[in-house]
Amino acid sequence: MTVLKTTADTPSSAMTQQPPRRSRWRGRRWPLNMLLLVISLITVTPFFLMVILALSPADSAGIPQQLPERLTLDNISRMLGASGFIRWTINTIIYSVVSVVIVLLAAAMAGYAFARKRFPGRQVLMWSFLATLMVPVQAMIIPYFVLISNLEGVNTYWGLIVPTLANAQAVFLMRQFIRDLPEELFEAAKVDGAPEWRVFFQLVLPLTKPVLATLGIFVFLWHWNDFLWPLVVAQSDDMRTLTVGLATLRTADVSTPELMAGATISVIPCIIVFFVLQRYLVNSIAMTGIK
Amino acid sequence: MSDGVSHRIKGARPGTGPRARRGRWRDPTTALIFLLPMLALFIVFRFMPAFGSIGMSLTDYKISGEWSLVGLENYERLISDQVFLDSLKTTAIYTAIYVPLTIVIALATAMLLNSVVWWKGVFRGALFLPYVTSFILAGLVWRWVYEVDGLINGLLAELGAGPIGFLEETALVLPSLAVVSAWKGFGYSMLILMAGLKAIPDSYLEAARVDGASAWQRFWKVILPLLKPVLFFVLVIETIVSFQVFDTIYVMTGGGPARASYTLVYALYDQGFRAFDFGYAATIGVVIFLIVLVITLIQRRFLDREA
Repeated sequence: MTVLKTTADTPSSAMTQQPPRRSRWRGRRWPLNMLLLVISLITVTPFFLMVILALSPADSAGIPQQLPERLTLDNISRMLGASGFIRWTINTIIYSVVSVVIVLLAAAMAGYAFARKRFPGRQVLMWSFLATLMVPVQAMIIPYFVLISNLEGVNTYWGLIVPTLANAQAVFLMRQFIRDLPEELFEAAKVDGAPEWRVFFQLVLPLTKPVLATLGIFVFLWHWNDFLWPLVVAQSDDMRTLTVGLATLRTADVSTPELMAGATISVIPCIIVFFVLQRYLVNSIAMTGIK
Repeated sequence: MSDGVSHRIKGARPGTGPRARRGRWRDPTTALIFLLPMLALFIVFRFMPAFGSIGMSLTDYKISGEWSLVGLENYERLISDQVFLDSLKTTAIYTAIYVPLTIVIALATAMLLNSVVWWKGVFRGALFLPYVTSFILAGLVWRWVYEVDGLINGLLAELGAGPIGFLEETALVLPSLAVVSAWKGFGYSMLILMAGLKAIPDSYLEAARVDGASAWQRFWKVILPLLKPVLFFVLVIETIVSFQVFDTIYVMTGGGPARASYTLVYALYDQGFRAFDFGYAATIGVVIFLIVLVITLIQRRFLDREA
């Protein structure tokens, strides 16, 4: 959940005018393709080796001296069997999924109010939301912790989740999207005398599906991969998330293949999200600079 | 609901008719109800902590909850605290390695992707993949890559060289950590730069080519100047990100060896959650905030001038 960007107008204008052309650097594509292939291979090699290590028998000589002669699921089943790994996974799922649902709903509501309602202080409030993006989470971690521990929220799910929900990027993107919806739809609903909650649930939410999907991916990834806040607030063994659990495993207690097995399992949801929704992810970064 | 009726009132203008007027009066109340959840979250978890952090930096808040006002004592302690000053320096050196490294890789891959036609999606996916993973995963995998019996030293041993203490030697630890963060993070800047490159009109490059400009000249004289705003945006984002580095350090070096990778956020964590000196840790938090603020303001300044 870092910085936003209203400033990336250049990228956004880029997406609207992709001229159909393939002429650039014609005739040099062979070496360029090869170079790109090499860089891509280097980039994915750590992942590849992580998976191979996770599947290696404990007695193998090990990479890079040699690749294992046979592959085994031993490490994975040992990780799943011991050390509260399942519990960490469940905690991470709760942390990510609950956060996604609440952030999307609350951000859509706020975005609707900002985009479609007139009220005093609207601009000031939107800007003060956005201004909070300048304050890094790390700088607020101490007040967070004091606040949550005073409310007895340490080692609870709500204490873990609630402080991460105030999401200015989400509100801002929802506001932009809802503002650009055709005015006629809202006029029609008004003429019909539809109550506000119906306008919101039957007009706003269905129409904002694409941006909700995109935001959902980002909020999910932020939470799934989050570390510092879960580290300080979820200290007990059975409240740890996957990142905290894996980071605090002692190398004396687990072998490298076991650790890699844990890492491999922990990254599966991200990889699925990535493969299924890559286009959404890539386009929204290019268009909005969301990070 | 909407589709059935929308054609009927296509001509309706916002703000006309009695209903619209009544609606306008209703607006502030409705708006407040819709804003309420987010507004409450922002007040409690953004505005209050932001000011709370400054407030706490003026106290000697301890984990017991006891505190008294100490004025600027924490700040005085900061400027004479060699550990803190070193952490500032360490973070600056790390940034000086990480940012150029990341941007050069991101720009190179963005340009390659823009010029290549085969398997473009596959390459982009492979290069972007590390971005969706966690810094903890990156740290765990790369810890093995750097280990004495890990990937690189294993390969070096085959050649009869090494081993190199990537994470054990003071001079190597920051570059080694910067490589991990660059690997994990460059995909983001790559996508932004790709969009920026696409926005450069082909005709400019064609014109330069017709005028006999070499690829090298086209890069320095046409592409780079036109890419400047995007490049600057990426530069600022990556600088801010690098001042916040923590996760990889926690899992790979623990701030070591001999505090050689003891960065600002690591110092904050150490003071807050190991020494439980919350007042002092909050002060370090304020410093991190000020650094990010200055970088952001420079960005605003620059972008305003460009626009």
